[in-house]
Amino acid sequence: MLEVDHLVTGYGGVPVLHDVSLTLNAGEIVGLLGANNAGKTTLINSLSGMYAPMSGRIRFEGHDVTAMTPKQRVEIGIIQVPEGRLVFPDMSVRENLLLGGINARARAHRPRTMDHVLELFPRLKERLGQNAGTLSGGEQQMLAIGRALMAEAKLLMLDEPSLGLSPLFVQYIFGIIDRLHAEGLSILLIEQNLNLTLRHAQRCYVLERGKVAIEGASDVVKDDPRTRRAYLGL
Amino acid sequence: MAEFLQALAQGLLIGSTYGLLALGMGLVYGVSGVVNFSHGDFISLGMFLCLALYSAFALDPYISLVITVPLMTVIGGLVYWYLLRPMVGHQFLMVVQLTLGLSLVLQNGILMVFGGQPARTPSVVESKLLILGDVVVRVPHVIAFVVSFAMAIGLYIMLRSTDFGRSIRAVHQNAHSAALMGIDVSRVQTLTFALGIGILAIAAALLLPGTPIQPAQGLRYTVITLIVVALGGMTNFVGIMLGGLIIGLSEAYGTIYLSDTLGMLLPYGIFVLIMLFRPQGLTWSSSR
Ligand SMILES: Nc1ncnc2c1ncn2[C@@H]1O[C@H](COP(=O)(O)OP(=O)(O)O)[C@@H](O)[C@H]1O
Ligand SMILES: [Mg+2]
Repeated sequence: MLEVDHLVTGYGGVPVLHDVSLTLNAGEIVGLLGANNAGKTTLINSLSGMYAPMSGRIRFEGHDVTAMTPKQRVEIGIIQVPEGRLVFPDMSVRENLLLGGINARARAHRPRTMDHVLELFPRLKERLGQNAGTLSGGEQQMLAIGRALMAEAKLLMLDEPSLGLSPLFVQYIFGIIDRLHAEGLSILLIEQNLNLTLRHAQRCYVLERGKVAIEGASDVVKDDPRTRRAYLGL
Repeated sequence: MAEFLQALAQGLLIGSTYGLLALGMGLVYGVSGVVNFSHGDFISLGMFLCLALYSAFALDPYISLVITVPLMTVIGGLVYWYLLRPMVGHQFLMVVQLTLGLSLVLQNGILMVFGGQPARTPSVVESKLLILGDVVVRVPHVIAFVVSFAMAIGLYIMLRSTDFGRSIRAVHQNAHSAALMGIDVSRVQTLTFALGIGILAIAAALLLPGTPIQPAQGLRYTVITLIVVALGGMTNFVGIMLGGLIIGLSEAYGTIYLSDTLGMLLPYGIFVLIMLFRPQGLTWSSSR
C-alpha cells in the first residue's frame, strides 16, 4: 500500500533522513521506532507532503505521490495524527471534528463519520461543545485520532500517540489502535515506547540517526540485540 | 447637552465603520501574520474608484459597490498571491517593506490619475438628515453604522459556521495542523486577504458621502485602523468593534469640543492613554 524508496529529506539542504526505504501492506500495523531526533517526525511529515524530498520516491496504492501537495495526499487517504496532537485549541470538539473531515472526499459524509467517531470515543460526545484547549492530554489524543478518522483515512499515521499520557490513557489509546486495525485500517505507528510498539505492530523499523538500522517482524526486532542499542542512541 | 448627544451619535456611527476597517486587517493578520501598511491606501483606492465611476457614469457610490467590491477583491487576491505570498512566513521585514511600498505606489498612482485637489463624490443621500429630538444625524452615517454592524455580524457567523470560516480560524490557530487536515493554507491566506480588501471597498463607499478625498489620506486611515486593532486585539471581534467605537467617539468629541485639528488628534491621545493603563488592549475575552 505504501512504498518509500530511498527517501532523502532535510531542512535547508541538510539531510536528516538518509536513504530511507520502507513498505507497509494494506491492513498492517507497522511500527517505526527510534530515539529522540532520529528523524521520525521528519519522515511522517514527508509522507504527508509537508516538505519536498531531496531525492527518493513515495508510492501509495501504486501511484507516485512524491510530488503531491499535503491537500492532495489527504484527499487520497494519507492522514497524520501529529506529534503533540495539535488540536485547534480555541475551537470546540465538534468544530475540530468537522475540520478533520473538511477534505473533498470526506466532507459529504461528515454526519455519518461523526456518529462513528463519537461511538468510538464516548468521552468526546460528552465534550462536543467544549473548547479543545480545555481537554486533558488523553482527551486531546482521542480528539486528534477522531479528527483523523473524520478525514476517512486509508492509511493512518500516528506520531507518538503515547507521548505525555498517563499509563491508563496509553492502554486506552492502544486499545483503540487495535480496534481500528481490526476494522481493516492500515496503520503506521511512530513511537518511542519500544515494548508497547513491538507488542501491537506486526513489523517494525528502527530508525537511527536518519537511517533504517533494523527492520523485520516485531518478534525478530525485539530479540535483535542491536535494537535496544540503537534505541538508546548509543 | 444636545452637543454632547450629537457627538455621541456621530462618534458611534462613524466608529462602527472604523471597527469594520480593523476587522479586515485583523483577519489578514490572524491567518498570515501580515500587517498591511497599505490598508488605508486601499481605502483611498476604493473611494477614488467610486469617484471615477461617478465622473464617468454618474453612479452613486452605493451603486458603484457592485463594481468596486469584486474589482478590489480580485486586486487583493492578486496582490497577496504574487507579491506577499512568496515572503510570508520567512521575511517579516520584507512583508512590511512590501506593504509600505505598495502604499506609495497606490498613493502616487491615484495622484497621477486624479491630481492632488480634494474631490467630492456626491450621493443622493448625502445631505439627507435624520432628526431624533435634539440630535441630527446624517443619513450616510446611519447607513454606515447599519452596514458595518451587519457586515461584522455576517463575518462572525461566517467564521463560526462555514467550512471556509473554520478554515480561516484553523489556519490562525495552527497552520501546520490545518495543512494536515487538507486545508490549502496559501489559498486560505490569499482568499482572506482578498476578503479584507473587498471589505475595504465597502467601507470606502460608506465613508465617502460628504467627505472630501485626496490621495494622501491613506496614511490617516492606516493609522486609525492600527490603533483600533491595537486597542481591540488583532483577532478579537468584539474588542475590535469596541475599539472602533472608541476611536470614532474620541474623534467626534474632539472636533466638537476642541478645534478641528486638535480634535483629529484626540483619538491618538486617547490611544496613548489606554495603552499606558491597559497595554494588553481592551480585550477581556478572546474570540478567535
Ligand atoms: N523544522 C526543522 N528545521 C530544522 N531542523 C529540524 C526541523 N525539525 C527537525 N529538525 C531536526 O531534524 C532531526 C530529526 O528530528 P525529528 O524528525 O523531529 O526527530 P524525531 O521525531 O525522531 O524526534 C533533529 O536533529 C532535528 O533537530
Ligand atoms: Mg518526533
